[in-house]
Amino acid sequence: MCRVMALSKRILSSLGNGPARRVLFGPVDREQLKVEYQAALQKDLEEASQRWGFDFFSDKPLESSDFQWEGVPGTKVPLLYRSCPDIGQAGGQKAARAAVSPKEGKMGSRQSRKENIPRTPERCTSYNLEKLEKTPERRRNTGLKRKQTNITDFYQAKRRVVGMPLKSGE
Amino acid sequence: MELLCLEMDTIIRARPDPNLLCDDRVLQSLLTIEERFLPQYSYFKGVQKDIQPFMRRMVATWMLEVCEEQKCEEEVFPLAMNYLDRFLAVVPTKKCNLQLLGAVCMFLASKLKETRPLTAEKLCIYTDNSIRPQELLEWELVVLGKLKWNLAAVTPNDFIEHIVRRLPLPKDKLALIRKHVQTFIALCATDFRFAMYPPSMIATGSVGAAICGLQLDSADQSQWGDSLTDLLAKITNTEVDVLKACQEQIERVLVSSLREGRQQQQQQQTQRGPSGKGLDELDQSSTPTDVRDVNL
Repeated sequence: MCRVMALSKRILSSLGNGPARRVLFGPVDREQLKVEYQAALQKDLEEASQRWGFDFFSDKPLESSDFQWEGVPGTKVPLLYRSCPDIGQAGGQKAARAAVSPKEGKMGSRQSRKENIPRTPERCTSYNLEKLEKTPERRRNTGLKRKQTNITDFYQAKRRVVGMPLKSGE
Repeated sequence: MELLCLEMDTIIRARPDPNLLCDDRVLQSLLTIEERFLPQYSYFKGVQKDIQPFMRRMVATWMLEVCEEQKCEEEVFPLAMNYLDRFLAVVPTKKCNLQLLGAVCMFLASKLKETRPLTAEKLCIYTDNSIRPQELLEWELVVLGKLKWNLAAVTPNDFIEHIVRRLPLPKDKLALIRKHVQTFIALCATDFRFAMYPPSMIATGSVGAAICGLQLDSADQSQWGDSLTDLLAKITNTEVDVLKACQEQIERVLVSSLREGRQQQQQQQTQRGPSGKGLDELDQSSTPTDVRDVNL
């Protein structure tokens, strides 16, 4: 009897109707939540702008920057960094990206063991470009869309070279 | 009469990989990198104005219940708590958003660790629909940014097998020991005092507490040679005194949590009228039973 009760309780709760279903700290202010969400994203983007010396809003390098940004035509960028898989047909105009290199001697090459330093740069540098160019062929056949390129895609490839200063983010 | 269908799809899981578990380098690497994923501040003393320690406990307890009900993998809950603490260490958060944060953290941890992760919809139901899936997804991005997308944090659970297989334990008791250790680890994750301890220490302390609790250490003293604590300390390079203190702290938390659970049960029973016998069973057991069956 007891076991049956426990069982039915378990089954009920597997539907999310058990006692675990509850509000902890009162109602959520949706409007406020939205505002905070927008603000948080905005702040993230601003921080990234500061960090990389690149204005992601207007897609231009910042004047005061530790990096020297250089425009690179979309066709010269590995497909991995392009916005969509159909770049082959589109001629790559859309995907003009900037390459980044550190300005001379600004930071030194301080290696950091902080958690925010991805430690697998080899994977990116050792990519065979030709291989990369081919992958989207398969993708196109399966009809999958490639995710839009993000600045974080650059982090792994470039961070080790750049040697960023320690950030007390975490 | 109720008819209950108990059929469930089987979950495909990998077998324990001896190449990983028997290689000393794996344990050493875990020990080397574990500190990188600890929250950097005791955030109640600075960053957080609206959130109190008891609120962390509330949200942690809720998260544990959800993970249990959904039969999540054991490490999902401790990992989610790691995300929560790391986020709270850097972002001042209002208490009314704390449950949303907890849900987001479970969402992320489950996606990282499970073949069939929790869905956003399900998690929202568990908040009694106080948040919407859309909000969960939006805040997922915010949390990811603050965690710098570093999700593969080391948890105490990562150490269990490495520690257990280095101890002379009776084979038939291993499953029980593991279960107790996991329970202790979950218990520690609900308590903020453990949030800044290295995962290896929590794991080692939990193994110690489990073995002592099951009284496996006194059964045959000779098999241990050194005392259990010395042996444990050696495995994870922890200082003996620190480890002892940690284990005692775990045992204290267990006792108080059992006591609380008992009080809660008593309250519930007085409300419902006298019908239970579970309490006597509880009182009689001197060994820590499965905490999750008792409280939490």
